[in-house]
Amino acid sequence: MADPTYSTLPSPPFDTISRIQYSPTDPNKLLASSWDSTVRFYHAGEPNERPSEQLVKFEHRAAVLTCCFSDASHGFSGGLDATIRHLEMGTEKITTVGSHTDAVSGMVFSDESHALVSGSWDCSLRLWDPRSATPQQANATTPERIYAIDMTNHNIVVAMASRLFSIYDIRNMSTPAQQRESSLKYMTRSLACMADGQGYATASVEGRIAVEYFDPSPATQAKKYAFKCHRHTVDDVDHVYPVNALAFHPVYNTFASAGSDATVSIWDHKVKKRLRQYPKFGNPVGTLAFNCDGTRLAVGVGYNWDLGEKGMHEKPGTEIGIRKLGDEVKPKNWTG
Amino acid sequence: MAKKKNKNVIRPWCWYCEREFEDEKGMFLMQHQKAKHFKCGMCPRRLNTAGGLAVHIQQVHKLEPENLPRIENAIPGRDGYEIEIFGMEGIPAPDVADYKRRKEIELGLAAGSISAPQAKRPKIDNKPLSEHDLRAMLDQHKKLMGGSTDASSSGPATAVYGAAAQTYVQPVPPPGFPPPGFPLGPGAPPMPPFPGPPGMPMPPFAPGGLPPGVMPPGMPPPGVMGVPPPGMPPPGMMPPPGMMPPPGALPPGVLPPGGMPPMPPGMLPPGTFPPPGMPMMPPPPGPMPPRPAPSFVAATTSQGGATGPEISSTPAPAAILRPTLPHPSKFQTNPEAKKGMVLIGNEDEHGVGGDPNFCIEEKRAFHPKYFVPRPLPPPENAESRGKKRARAEDFL
Repeated sequence: MADPTYSTLPSPPFDTISRIQYSPTDPNKLLASSWDSTVRFYHAGEPNERPSEQLVKFEHRAAVLTCCFSDASHGFSGGLDATIRHLEMGTEKITTVGSHTDAVSGMVFSDESHALVSGSWDCSLRLWDPRSATPQQANATTPERIYAIDMTNHNIVVAMASRLFSIYDIRNMSTPAQQRESSLKYMTRSLACMADGQGYATASVEGRIAVEYFDPSPATQAKKYAFKCHRHTVDDVDHVYPVNALAFHPVYNTFASAGSDATVSIWDHKVKKRLRQYPKFGNPVGTLAFNCDGTRLAVGVGYNWDLGEKGMHEKPGTEIGIRKLGDEVKPKNWTG
Repeated sequence: MAKKKNKNVIRPWCWYCEREFEDEKGMFLMQHQKAKHFKCGMCPRRLNTAGGLAVHIQQVHKLEPENLPRIENAIPGRDGYEIEIFGMEGIPAPDVADYKRRKEIELGLAAGSISAPQAKRPKIDNKPLSEHDLRAMLDQHKKLMGGSTDASSSGPATAVYGAAAQTYVQPVPPPGFPPPGFPLGPGAPPMPPFPGPPGMPMPPFAPGGLPPGVMPPGMPPPGVMGVPPPGMPPPGMMPPPGMMPPPGALPPGVLPPGGMPPMPPGMLPPGTFPPPGMPMMPPPPGPMPPRPAPSFVAATTSQGGATGPEISSTPAPAAILRPTLPHPSKFQTNPEAKKGMVLIGNEDEHGVGGDPNFCIEEKRAFHPKYFVPRPLPPPENAESRGKKRARAEDFL
C-alpha cells in the first residue's frame, strides 16, 4: 500500500472479475461482474473524502460474464445462464429483459439508439430496448461464437471465435457492414474501440495487439499494424501470455492493455510507443476500464482460469484496484 | 518447533489491514495493531485502541475531533475511529462473516466449514440420566424415526416432525412392484435391492447431477413410468424400463435366453424393434457388445461425448459435457509455434497452451462449479434474490 496512486476497493467479488465498467457520467462509480454470480456497484472514492464502498450487490443465478451501464443509475448484465437482465442501482431491482440460447459474452449500450447490444456464444448478436413491450429489437446471426463486442459511434465491432470479426452499423443490423479476419494468428482475446471512433485494437492469446481502422480505403488500411507485448523470457524460453483486456482512454485516445502476466501497460498507438508499464500485480489482470473523465483506471485482478481448475487454489484472492492516473496516459506531444 | 496448522481454523487477523497472525492467543496481533494502527503520528506514543489514540491526539496534541488523521495503514473504509477494535474483539459481525467467506473460498473450502479458533468441545456431563430424561429421549428418538406410535397423542408439532422424517423414507414402489426385501412367491429368488424410484437417473449417475426439469434424451417424461408399457413382462419379473440393475444383479430366474450377458431391460435383443409405446431406446445398430451399465446410462445423456469410468465419481454434466463447436468446419489450428516460445494458459486436451478452438471461459462454464444447462427455460420475472436492504442515503 506504499503506492499512493493505487488503492483497492473493499468487499471485492469472491471469484474472477469478468468485467469492470465505469459509470458514463460519474467518475467514481463502477460496476463489476464476477464468476461468483454477482454484479457489484461500487463507489470508488478518495481516502480523504468519501471512502470507497460497495453500494449494491446484485445476486444472479449463474456466473456473470459481462455488464454495462445504460445511464448513471441503470445497467445490464449477462452471463452463463444466457439471460439479459436490467439492473436498477437505486432500487436494487433486477428485471429480466430476454435471453440468448447460450452464455452472453459481451454487451454494450448505445446512447444514440438507446439500445443494448449483446453478443453470445450462441452465434447471435441481439439488440434490446428494455422499455419496449417486446424488448428484442433485432437478432443477427453471426458466423461464429461471439467473444467480445465494443462500439464507437455507430460502429459495433464483434470479435468471434475462429479469429473472425464483423463490423455492424447499429442503424442496419441485418447485415454486417464489414467482415474481416483477424490480422493476428491466434485466438482473439480482447477488443476495444478507439475513443475517436477511427478504429479499434484487438489482442490475442499470443501476447500481441493489433491496431486496425474502420475506413476501408487502402491508404487507411495501410496504417494498421500489430506488436508483441505481455511476454517474459524465462531461461531462454519466451513465455507468451494472453492479453485479457484493452481499454482506450476517453480523452487522450491512448490505450491500456492487461495480461495474464499480471501486468498493465499504457500504449500510444499513434507513435507506436509504450508510455508506461505499471508494477506487476500478484495475479493475472482480467479486465480494466477507464472512468469517464480519464482520471482513474480500474483493474480486475485475480486468477482467471488460465490453467483450469488446478490453478484455482494457487494464488487465491481477487481485487479491484483503482489507479489514479497522471501524465503517463497522455501522449508526449499532447496539445489538447 | 512443531506447528499445528489446521486449515479450517481462522487465525487471528487484523481488522484494519486483514493481516493474519500465527499465534493462537493474538498477542502478535495486538502488538501489530499498536505499532501499525494505533501509533500517534506526532509523538512516539503507541496506544492500545483507536479510541485511546483519538483521546490522546485530542488531549495531548490539541487537535479537534474532526481533524483527526485517519488510522494509518488501514484498508480504505476501515480507517475510522468509530469502531473500537482490540485484537480480535469488536470486529463487526458482517466483516467477520465476509472475511470467513473469503477465506473459505481462498482455501477452497465449502461454505461454513471454517470454524472459529479454539472451538470448545460440546460439554458432555456423565451424570446418570433420570428416568424422565430417558423417556424424553426415547420419545424424541421415536419421532425422529418417523414412528407413528404416539404421533397423535403428542400434538401437531410431533405430527409435522414425523411427516418431515417420513419424506426421507424409501419411496413407495409402483403398484405391482414388490417392496424391497419382500420375498417373492415360492421359488422366486429375492429381488435385488431397490435402486430408487423409476424414471429417475440411477446411480452411478450422481443424484442431482442433472438439473431439475432437464430430461436426458431418450428418457420418457416422468409419470409414464409407473405403468409398464404394453409388451413388457409382467411386473415383478423385471424392473420397469429406465431402471438399470447393476451388472449381474438380475436374479438368475430372469436371465435372458441363450446365456447372453445381462442386458438392461428395454434394450431388445439385436434385430428386433421395440413395440410401439416403448419409450426407451432406439434399436441398437447391429449386434451390441455387452457394455457395463454406467457407460450405457451416460451414453443416453451425452452428446456423443466421451464416456468413461471417471464419470461415476464426478458430477455428471461436467464429466460428460464439453463445449462443442457449433461449426465443426471452422475447426482451428494454431500456426506452428516458434522455437523457444511457450503459450501460457488455456491448454487444449493435449496440454498445449493456447487452445485455438475454445476460450477459457467456454471451458470454465462446463466445470461443475459453474455449470448451467443452456438454453434455460424462459426465466420468470420474479427474481428478488438480489434484494437487500435499500440504502437510500447512497443515492441522494
